[in-house]
Amino acid sequence: MRNTMKVAKWEIKRNMKNKTFLIGLFLTPILILAFGFIGSLFGGSDDAEHSPTTVHVNDQTGIYPALEETINQSDLDWEMELTDIEETAVEPILETSDNTAILFINDQALETGIVPVYTSNEIDQFFINQVQVLTTPLQALKIEQFGLTEEETASLLQGITFEEITMEDAAASEETAEEAEAGLGADPMERIVPGIFAGIIMFSVIMTGMATFQSASQEKKDKIAEIILSSLTPSDLMQGKIVGYFVLGIIQVVVFFVVLLPFAVWKLDIPIMEYLLVPETLLLVFIAILSYLMFASIFVGIGATMSDITTAGNFQGFVMMLPFAPLVIMGPVFKDPSGIVAQVGTYIPFTAPGVLIMRLSTLEQWPWIEIIISLIVIMASVWIFMKLAGKIFKVGILMYGKNATPGEILKWLRA
Amino acid sequence: METMLSVKNLGKSFKDKQIIKDISFDVRKGEIMAILGPNGAGKSTTIRNIMGIMYPDTGSIEFQNSNGKDIPRNKIGYLPEERGLYKNVNVMDILLYLAELKDYPLDKAKERALNYLKKFDLEGKDKVSVEELSKGMGQKVQFIASVIHEPELLILDEPFSGLDPVSQELFKQEIRSLAEKGTAILLSSHQMNLVEEMADRLFMIHRGQKVIYGTMDDVKTQYANFKCAIHGKNAYDDLVRIPGVQRVEQEDDKSILYLASDIHPASWLKQLPEQLVVQELTIDRISLHEIFIDIATDKNLLQEAGELHA
Repeated sequence: MRNTMKVAKWEIKRNMKNKTFLIGLFLTPILILAFGFIGSLFGGSDDAEHSPTTVHVNDQTGIYPALEETINQSDLDWEMELTDIEETAVEPILETSDNTAILFINDQALETGIVPVYTSNEIDQFFINQVQVLTTPLQALKIEQFGLTEEETASLLQGITFEEITMEDAAASEETAEEAEAGLGADPMERIVPGIFAGIIMFSVIMTGMATFQSASQEKKDKIAEIILSSLTPSDLMQGKIVGYFVLGIIQVVVFFVVLLPFAVWKLDIPIMEYLLVPETLLLVFIAILSYLMFASIFVGIGATMSDITTAGNFQGFVMMLPFAPLVIMGPVFKDPSGIVAQVGTYIPFTAPGVLIMRLSTLEQWPWIEIIISLIVIMASVWIFMKLAGKIFKVGILMYGKNATPGEILKWLRA
Repeated sequence: METMLSVKNLGKSFKDKQIIKDISFDVRKGEIMAILGPNGAGKSTTIRNIMGIMYPDTGSIEFQNSNGKDIPRNKIGYLPEERGLYKNVNVMDILLYLAELKDYPLDKAKERALNYLKKFDLEGKDKVSVEELSKGMGQKVQFIASVIHEPELLILDEPFSGLDPVSQELFKQEIRSLAEKGTAILLSSHQMNLVEEMADRLFMIHRGQKVIYGTMDDVKTQYANFKCAIHGKNAYDDLVRIPGVQRVEQEDDKSILYLASDIHPASWLKQLPEQLVVQELTIDRISLHEIFIDIATDKNLLQEAGELHA
């Protein structure tokens, strides 16, 4: 263990002194930030073009204050004002202005239930949907004319909806009635923020995990392995590399957040810190760490089989793609987080960590049994891959100037 | 002298091919022990087995002061045949890292590193990146790395390969002075002239098997018979009939007469036949170099000598 730490320390020190690593360390978050900023620039200009819709109301019923209140309560970007334009005079006005609408609310409209709306040629494409919010106060006025009380009016306006309750839901709702109440208004971000956090950790540590590959094959290329192995055992060396690059990955994550978090808190209107500091985050981060251990040991083992990435065969190339497997099934998983693709993905070692993080970020209710089985699968494969990588590493690291074939690798594994 | 390392009946095969067989020798404190042999004889395989980089199929390796099977890695310095250094780090960093791996105190390591760099003409290179060093400089740094922690046993696999004569001399002096200070040194090489000057004892290996094992002096008196080179046109049969001649090699007008071990050079010269054509005549001992080449090319020089002494 002591030797492992020595190797880890050396790997950290060596990379922290390396300009390429340092540039990459800060460049990645800055690039992300820069693209985000450029994106928001475009977003901003979009907003500038978007002017509020002017709505003139020719009201002869005295309902205008109620309409105004409704509009204020909704977030509609409307500028509403009273007008006394006649229906016959609207054409020249609308022809000369954009984003303008004129409503005529009079007794006739109330009686027939049809409110004439004249709009300019260019108008917000959602305007006709937006204007529907005004039905409620208008209906209220109509009902009031029948002389019903306010309560009767409210009851009438509520309408009738059908709610589906399956047996499962019924049972669940009893247990989680309280939770559901709280969850009703809950922000989906509450789940997604820890998920994104774990996703970033997973991404960074896997990227540095791929660096263990580089490091192992470099060891071969520089022919230093035999010198190092005269002082420690191959497993010390391998573990040292895995631990060292893990710390480097965490350093990357820290830099990431130090750079990105202030901007995120400032720009996004989400209580990020509040959502982040929950127990769920711990589990997600734990999954991310497990996935690092798995891929790092695979990579360090494969790295020991060749001295240069450019000479990698198909087999090695294929293994290098493994961490990206969850991306392939990302679409179906997000579409249906409880679907068959998502469930199968949860049990395949290579996709399990990624899929689990995706699912846990989107699912309201965590499927604990699936989570536990998946964790067992991941932990078992971490253990197996570390053992196998150890065997490959031990033989591979001393094979100078020659790449191992899959056949040879298989033979080492059997040995 | 204390035995620091003893190797007994070592054997190792790859697939069906036996690489080394029944290798036994020991290395003592304060001596330079040389393993000699042509390329592919099994020198590096033997050394890798000692270092625990490979595991022998048969035989045992014992280190002094070591409990059980563990290799006392911190007391051994090793310069492998296939060697290199991390490229993008500076010289002092890598020396200190290698010293740290051996659990050697860092302040002492730093001091020793600076001294050695000075000794090897690399003063001021401690902050230079390894990739800027020439091949020879790199070799020197590797050598420093192998001795920085004051090992009790130093194993050098082909330390002179790729060095210029000046550096070779430097290495030779340093290795010798380490031995004088009590380090046990196991050295493998195929540069006979260097080994002849340095080694106290030698172990010659060919095709994975022992050919000669003994002290340098013994080997010389035992195996290095006299040979006589004559320039001049002489018939093969005439030369073979001269008493004390074991074997004759002829090439153009030059003949080399390999003599029996018990001849006395002066009296042998006296009884040379008078009709012999001599334009030039030299008589000297067979060098280690020749023994080596003979072994490597499967001539029977040594066997003859060996049989005689058997």
